[in-house]
Amino acid sequence: MNVHVPILKLGEVLIVTVQAALTDAQLIDLRTELADRVGRFRSKGVVLDVSLLDVLDSFASRTLSDIAKVARLRGARAIIVGIQPEAAFAMVQLGLTLEGIDTAVDLDEAMEILGSSQVRGRG
Amino acid sequence: MSVTDPNTAPQTLRDHPGMKDFFSTYEQRVETLNAGLMVTVGRLPSLDALVRRMTPEALAENNRLSMDNMRKAIVHGDWAPLLERQRSDGATYAAMGIPFREWFDLVAAFQSSLIPFLVADYGGKDAVRLGHALTAMNAYVNAAMNNIAEEYLKTKERIIAQQQHAIHELSTPVLKLRDRLLLVPLVGILDTQRARQMTEQLLSAIRDNRAKVVVIDITGVPAVDSKVANHLFQTAAAARLMGAQAVITGLSADVAQALVALGIDVGRLTTIGDLQGGLEEAQRMLGYRVVAVEA
Repeated sequence: MNVHVPILKLGEVLIVTVQAALTDAQLIDLRTELADRVGRFRSKGVVLDVSLLDVLDSFASRTLSDIAKVARLRGARAIIVGIQPEAAFAMVQLGLTLEGIDTAVDLDEAMEILGSSQVRGRG
Repeated sequence: MSVTDPNTAPQTLRDHPGMKDFFSTYEQRVETLNAGLMVTVGRLPSLDALVRRMTPEALAENNRLSMDNMRKAIVHGDWAPLLERQRSDGATYAAMGIPFREWFDLVAAFQSSLIPFLVADYGGKDAVRLGHALTAMNAYVNAAMNNIAEEYLKTKERIIAQQQHAIHELSTPVLKLRDRLLLVPLVGILDTQRARQMTEQLLSAIRDNRAKVVVIDITGVPAVDSKVANHLFQTAAAARLMGAQAVITGLSADVAQALVALGIDVGRLTTIGDLQGGLEEAQRMLGYRVVAVEA
């Protein structure tokens, strides 16, 4: 499958950095690919970094939250990181608040959250 | 007559039948006229102060330059430098705070001292020519005043815009209290524009400081209605999208009752009674524990 977004595997975490605005078809490809890889690598976490995007439309927002839900069903906790101020403001105006989806300010923060939840999981 | 647009305005001045006569009389008597105008300037405090700060050479140079521009415009038909200079002068004088009224006084003095010369030059021979020269003078002066006035207005509007900007900046500071903890103390009425601006500033600050918790204190907001509550919901939701949690503090007893009476569901917001409680909660969320130092 040809996905234009690199999916990096770091230990038990998959890291996706969205480099440019994706078409709807590319977003769906990404969802499918991630759903597959979470199972294949038995990943515990997925981090979606959107800090390079200055706009997230309704389809992208919904797909991101779908990806997070799919990942959760496959056993991984998904965190969306780096939503830019302008994008956040526009999304809220459109009523796209990603209810129930974890967010973090950057990758560091997301790794910290995933790390601590793993520790809790083991303990 | 509108004569301020450099592309179209000079047409009316350029085609004016009396313009060259007006200028020729003015050019011949310029020394006498300028001397008379200096007496008028002496009675106008701001202009007088301005002229006193200039050296005689600078003043002479200034007069020579405006004469040159006038000649270029009226004799050679090139109005651009004259109009440009009137605009930049207008902007400079407005920024210096010279009252616009003084320009009217100066121009009135100019006109009343020039009219006798125009009458002397053309009055005896040709009444039509005199009429043209007089209307040319009026047209010229009106155009100049128009240009200067426009610059005055623009300058004042710019100052007002700057001040509004400054007031808005002052009114919504975003303060960093601890690593990853921001505080926004809101004071005054939260209208849509301010709410939007507060949200934008807060979101940028969240990114720049990697904030995890933001405390929005509304003790100083006099009235909270459904609109303001909605602004707060949106701000909290946008902060959450960026990975920070918003804590709203300072809901007074009146505000709390009003919100409940209005049927607004504040359950979606994390609210804590006062700023102290909010900060304690925020620090707890960040993993801080504040303990008194043993005396």
